[in-house]
Amino acid sequence: MLILDILTTAAVLFIVSAGLLAIFGVLKIINFAHGAWLTIGAYCAVIVAGLGLNPWLALPLAFLVGGALGGVTEHFIVRPLYQRPLDAILATWGLGIVVGQLITLWFGRDVQFTPGLLSGTVDVFGISYSLYRLFALGAAVVIGLGFAFLLEGTRLGLTAQAVIMNETLAKGLGIDTGKVRLATFVIGTGLTALAGVLLTPLTSVDPTMGVAWLIGAFMLVMVAGSSFGALAVACLVFGGAQVIVSTFVSPILGGITVAVLCALVLRISPKGFARA
Amino acid sequence: MPDANTLAAPALRRPRIIRSYLLIALAVTALVLVVFGPSFLDRFSLNVLTRSMIYALLAITVDLLWGYTGILTFGQAAFFGVGAYASAMVLSHVGGSPALIALSFALAILVPVVLGLLVGWLSFYHGSTPLYATVVSLVVPIVITQIVYSGGTWTGSSSGLVGYWGLPLGLAGFFRLSGLCLVVAAVAACIFVRSDAGKVLIAIRDNDTRCAYLGLNTQKIRILLTAVLAGVAGLAGFLFANASGVVAPENTGFVFGTELVVWTALGGRGTIIGPVLGTIGIDFLSANLSGRLPFLYQLLIGSLFVLMIIFLPNGLAAIATAAFSRFGGRSGDALDNPKLVALDDAERQSAPIGAGDPLLKIEGLKKAYGSQIVLQGIDVEIRAGELVSLVGPNGAGKTTLMRCLSDGREDIDGRISVSGADISGLVPNRIVGLGVGRKFQVASVFDSLTVAECLRMARASLDRPNWFAQSRELALPAPAVEILTLTGLSGLLGQKVSLLSHGQKQALELAMVVALEPRLILLDEPTAGLTKTERTTIGTVLQRLTGDLGLAAILVEHDLEFVRDISSRIVVLHQGKLVLDGSVDEVVNSQTVKEIYSGGGHD
Repeated sequence: MLILDILTTAAVLFIVSAGLLAIFGVLKIINFAHGAWLTIGAYCAVIVAGLGLNPWLALPLAFLVGGALGGVTEHFIVRPLYQRPLDAILATWGLGIVVGQLITLWFGRDVQFTPGLLSGTVDVFGISYSLYRLFALGAAVVIGLGFAFLLEGTRLGLTAQAVIMNETLAKGLGIDTGKVRLATFVIGTGLTALAGVLLTPLTSVDPTMGVAWLIGAFMLVMVAGSSFGALAVACLVFGGAQVIVSTFVSPILGGITVAVLCALVLRISPKGFARA
Repeated sequence: MPDANTLAAPALRRPRIIRSYLLIALAVTALVLVVFGPSFLDRFSLNVLTRSMIYALLAITVDLLWGYTGILTFGQAAFFGVGAYASAMVLSHVGGSPALIALSFALAILVPVVLGLLVGWLSFYHGSTPLYATVVSLVVPIVITQIVYSGGTWTGSSSGLVGYWGLPLGLAGFFRLSGLCLVVAAVAACIFVRSDAGKVLIAIRDNDTRCAYLGLNTQKIRILLTAVLAGVAGLAGFLFANASGVVAPENTGFVFGTELVVWTALGGRGTIIGPVLGTIGIDFLSANLSGRLPFLYQLLIGSLFVLMIIFLPNGLAAIATAAFSRFGGRSGDALDNPKLVALDDAERQSAPIGAGDPLLKIEGLKKAYGSQIVLQGIDVEIRAGELVSLVGPNGAGKTTLMRCLSDGREDIDGRISVSGADISGLVPNRIVGLGVGRKFQVASVFDSLTVAECLRMARASLDRPNWFAQSRELALPAPAVEILTLTGLSGLLGQKVSLLSHGQKQALELAMVVALEPRLILLDEPTAGLTKTERTTIGTVLQRLTGDLGLAAILVEHDLEFVRDISSRIVVLHQGKLVLDGSVDEVVNSQTVKEIYSGGGHD
């Protein structure tokens, strides 16, 4: 039971952080509007449910909406700030406020409910466990493998890696770094919105839901650097710690475990898990 | 002082006086408003403005950290909350007698200061990044909020603490007290940031490495600043807890921390007055408007903030100062020239040249990056008065050697000692303390400061900087004054460094290093990109420093002609090994050197 909790918690953390990591890894920009994109995704699920469509349709819709908005954001807000990373944090945070308020104006500030994507429980090794949490585990694996394929197996991934390693050189070799950045940002934000849909069965949907997830995701990405493998490890280790603290000490302290442990890890080893 | 140079024009000190009067006028106006405000403001406005002014006090601390020192922090909310909770907890659980109010006051400041020291220690260590400090500043408010939530009846958990009795002041009283605290803090901050000591903050923001190589312990300064400003935030918390009669978890939270940053940004970071006015304006307006258009108002603030960060990073105050300088004819600080004064040289005993124990001793130095060996088997001794040139083709390890000499944390084998003291493990500012000055390859100066302020920074570790004002004199060791005079910088003391030419920046950095009164100077290609005349000037200065004043210098240089003209000894490095160490003639006529430089030296 505990092991399943740890695995599924880590999976959820991974899903939530992956989009942020994609952007931080390539662009070295911390997208503080990450929470807003999670919220956008969740509200896509609300819209789909409102139209009476199949809830699974929310996934592609969120990816498209999130990606499109991400493209606009990259062009108008993030692009002028690549040389001022601390200001980029602030500008994206400001954008997060704007998005949050727009959603509030449109949908009201009340908590929305969405139909579950999957309900019920299954028996795993004799314990009945939430089917959806297990599905989340699978989704995390799919996202992780998808990124591995994208990075290793496609041209975009290869150029993105080149940009990560040495941007000046990549530019010199004729890679259009601007395009790589735009593509990365679009994929990162699309994925984040998708993660927002996946979160809907696990949390309540309201305009400020993203902020709660932002910090955890942010800390995990800081520890992971720019590697998805490191992110997976970080999610397992810190997600595990969170579950253990929540179970045996106090759920409230469990909530801050990830942030505190990440900060300490970074203090001791500034590169975090990136070397792994 | 016989050799005092009077190079500045003392009559032109008008701008500074205008600014002082302006500050006094502002402070007096603010005080009048604070004292008489309660007689014309309604209850609602009094209440809101009291809160706004307390927030403005916090905005000053954010501005000092972020606007001046470059530390983006969300953590001031945590210190504020801790201060507020410390006083509210004493008042609700122990009691509200005058003695206990005094205790709650002391705790409201002490606890945040201690926490600030802890956070500072966590955030700032040698090699920490600005991003990491921001990360910590995010974690702190979150942790504090969670602790408050799990505090049960002690902290009132999610509903906070209410119904305690604190300072018996009433609405008008709290308005005046908060306003007074705000004015005092704002004036103190304005005076401090304009003082010589305050410029250290800007220097740290501009160029932390250079600060360290000027002997300043920048991490310690950051930690102390964090702790002191945590105390100020705690004071704001105390005022808030007393004035509002309620403390809630939101007061400690990360969202409040970001709001403080937003207000500071909109008002104008790095101006003190801007964030104060910005905070009061936005908080007051939002209290008035949020009833009618709650979300629209937030939306407006958010959009404005994004636009501001992108297009006007210095906030509204930047427009105001630009207008002011156009109006007041304040063309930069060019008129604010201090008087250049040469320090008395008498106490400085110049060691006999070439005699005594070696100043620098390198024994069996080996440096490797993984399996790549960069330096191997280096043994060199350098005595006072020597001007040793380090030559060799690109990739010979010259710059690496310089780095090993000036930063003891480089992972090396062998031993490097300065005046007999082993430098292994010492951070750069400690090695500067041993008398080693380093000039970088690319001029490393402070772009936002003036020439005089840069030079004063070089003296900050030796002469206690003035905390209250900008000194009208600039006292430097004679050789530094000489460099300034020779290069013409002495007439540009009030000039912003960003306006200097490349050669002038190189000369300024050299003057800054010399102003440290080092016994050994490390120079990495000081003449790169300079004109012939500038080269000759620098060469003359270096020969004066070593030949007449007994300093030792190590010079990395590619221009062999220049090297031959000024060196007393030449050390040749090739592929990480010391190939030759001898007099100028020996090296110049050596067959090995010719082979290396003609490209045939690969064995």
